[in-house]
Amino acid sequence: MRLSRLALVLGLAAAAQPAPGAVAIGQKLQPFKLGDTSGQTVDVGADQGRKAVVLMFIATQCPVSNAYNERMAALSREYASKGVAFIGINSNRQESVEEIAAHAASHGFSFPILKDVGNVQADHFGAQVTPEIYVYDSASVLRYHGRIDDDRTGANVKSQDLRRALDALLAGQPVPVAETKAFGCTIKRVAQ
Amino acid sequence: MSAAFLLAAVLAGEVDASGVGRALASHRGHPVVLTLWATWCEPCVKEFPSLMALARERKDVAFVSVSIDEPEDRKTLEAFVAARRPPFPVHARASGPDQAFIDGVDRDWSGVVPATIVYDREGRRVALLQGEHGRSDIEKALARAAR
Repeated sequence: MRLSRLALVLGLAAAAQPAPGAVAIGQKLQPFKLGDTSGQTVDVGADQGRKAVVLMFIATQCPVSNAYNERMAALSREYASKGVAFIGINSNRQESVEEIAAHAASHGFSFPILKDVGNVQADHFGAQVTPEIYVYDSASVLRYHGRIDDDRTGANVKSQDLRRALDALLAGQPVPVAETKAFGCTIKRVAQ
Repeated sequence: MSAAFLLAAVLAGEVDASGVGRALASHRGHPVVLTLWATWCEPCVKEFPSLMALARERKDVAFVSVSIDEPEDRKTLEAFVAARRPPFPVHARASGPDQAFIDGVDRDWSGVVPATIVYDREGRRVALLQGEHGRSDIEKALARAAR
């Protein structure tokens, strides 16, 4: 499903401001706007009845992020019908919008990918690696942060962390493991 | 002597998080630069020569290098190290859960590579450099480690 414009309505009043350079479990999503690969501006932070929003910091040139291309594409398709929106965010300075669009098309991504010029959002979220996932619930509260699963190769996945978090949210249950870590590529930030 | 044996000899052995800790502890009394990297990581490969040069210049500092390459990429790792002959030991991460390794090495490490951690003579961390950092950042950290 191609989204020409995604607008998510703000939920409850904002919680305490996140610490500089990182967001924390339990905190509200601070709304932001970024351009997608077609040049449209996308509002992130306003709810349109989504059960959850999955923000994914990804890359076109990172072997780890690319190892998850199929899984990201599959998960986004599977959970779209369940009211979950997936949004990719590319913060790498050297990966152009054209490259991102071509990469998305070649891998069958049905989710929009936003270009985070100057890695502003990566800095706000405190994102360090690609891929790195942030899952917000229907009230725009951060409920899960970390990896997609525990095996880059996909051959020996024992813990499907993102799926488990989404299933818990959709069932109205607490996310069993709210934060995880995995190896990944550095986000190529602009020079300070 | 087989090529496989020669290749395998270029690595300093497999380590889990505890093994990294032991490797660091073995250098107590010296500042230590721990580098965490992978052959698939372009910035890691790019900074490897400057790390080697720094290690050759700073004989007062211990350098410990740990590759997080997957076991199936071991041959690639061995060939990489054999071709460059770094002046510091290069360990391969032992098989095991990624997160346990990441948290076991340093709870503040996100899992990103390259990552460079600098310790003072007493083994206290003085800097955690996540992502690409130039040689000057390591040298600034070493200056703090010397205080």
